[in-house]
Amino acid sequence: MIALGLTLIYGVLQIPNFSHGALYMIGAYVAYFSIVSFGFPYWVGLITSVITLFCVGMFVERVAFRPLYDKPLINAFIVAVGLILIFENGALAIWGPEFRRLPAPSSAVIELSGAIITMQRIIVIAAALLLIAAVHFFVKKTRLGAAIEATAQNREGAQLMGINVYLMGGITFGIGTSLAAVAGVLIAPIFLIYPSMGVPVIGMAFVIMIVGGMGSFLGAVAGGYLIGLLETLVSSYITTYFTEVILFGLLVVVLAIKPTGLFGKGH
Amino acid sequence: MLLQVKNIESFYGLSKALSDVSLSIEEGEIVCVLGANGAGKSTLLKTIAGQVKPRNGQVVFRGKRIDQIEPHRIVREGVTLCPEDKKIFPQMSVFKNLYLGAWIYGKDKVRIEANIVDVYNLFPVLKERKNQDAGTLSGGEQQMLVIGRSLMSNPWLLMLDEPSLGLAPLMVERIFEVIRQINARRTTILLVEQNASIALNVANRGYIMEAGRITMEGASYELLNNEKVKKAYLGF
Repeated sequence: MIALGLTLIYGVLQIPNFSHGALYMIGAYVAYFSIVSFGFPYWVGLITSVITLFCVGMFVERVAFRPLYDKPLINAFIVAVGLILIFENGALAIWGPEFRRLPAPSSAVIELSGAIITMQRIIVIAAALLLIAAVHFFVKKTRLGAAIEATAQNREGAQLMGINVYLMGGITFGIGTSLAAVAGVLIAPIFLIYPSMGVPVIGMAFVIMIVGGMGSFLGAVAGGYLIGLLETLVSSYITTYFTEVILFGLLVVVLAIKPTGLFGKGH
Repeated sequence: MLLQVKNIESFYGLSKALSDVSLSIEEGEIVCVLGANGAGKSTLLKTIAGQVKPRNGQVVFRGKRIDQIEPHRIVREGVTLCPEDKKIFPQMSVFKNLYLGAWIYGKDKVRIEANIVDVYNLFPVLKERKNQDAGTLSGGEQQMLVIGRSLMSNPWLLMLDEPSLGLAPLMVERIFEVIRQINARRTTILLVEQNASIALNVANRGYIMEAGRITMEGASYELLNNEKVKKAYLGF
């Protein structure tokens, strides 16, 4: 899901948004406080987080990235890294370093032909599938989605059709960050919430995006499953120490054989 | 007067591409701008379309200044540009490319359908290929698609940047035939071309640009008979 948001943003705006992991962290915190401090039910917390992060995403795009569109890419790079520092240290200063746990909406445990799975994990898997389908439907079947896709394929061409490409960029960024928020909120009951929780995730998301092919929607989905599967297999059958070695090894192999990634189009 | 460009000065990067350029177009005309590579013709069209902001001067369209508004708003004013390098959406179907051309009509389905039927009548080959990805079309078909897409917003003024570029002679004739048809339906056309003879053939009037300035203007037959023009642009 994180890789999906990242891919969407990269595809339309050509920004490698390193701060995506930090936005995922903020999404988790927003949900945490609306659930634990304000006593909202889990689902309301999720929706609050999605809406808040959509606005945060649009704001970040408007303030931090839009002024850099015509500048060399390195500027957006630096800004993205700077945003990580701002968000993470901001979270550290405001909410402190302690780990927090979000109570799961359902603590049920399900036995599936011998395997024991918590309800939350099933929710995560189902939500991921649902969101992938929803994003796909949005891009392929709605008018706004078509305009966003057009902006991704030819920015100037879209502008000549009267499409406000800046607004499309903002909306895309908003959608991308809300996807990160959903991921953060769904994963929070399984893992923990802390200011640097986005760090391991963003690395993985970039591996997925590069293996799948930069900016390719299908690539993000296929890459996500491939990497997820590989990670699970490696850590359960071989060793957990080498998971990352093997993942990045896969990255190197894919890049050596097909430099544009599995589903990349190449430029 | 449909369009008036008054003394504009534009920069392309750091270099000055247009200096003190003025021109005007009446409703219903076909006007061409001729000139060598790098004379500033494309920059002129981009300035009118709002993609390049002039440093000095004004662009007035239907009585309204459009030189400081954003490109996507200018489309709503009724000016569209068919750019030289086409800028189609390659991984989208021909139909979707056309559909997006009518973006300014929002959800007005009746209007959009009618316009698509119109474009299919003008270019039957686009109808045959409507479900094909635009990137798989031939150069000539892509040019048709770009023109068709620009017509989807029913512009008052259609600007064409080098529509003959890279096309086979037969295809060029076909495209210019369609340009005449579009004009006959009361769309004003501003045409930029390197192929001077065909452009002057279809246009009512012409301007000649050299190094960012307009050096000559006149009715097409005057330019066609002008010794200097003959020598420099018509090749005889």
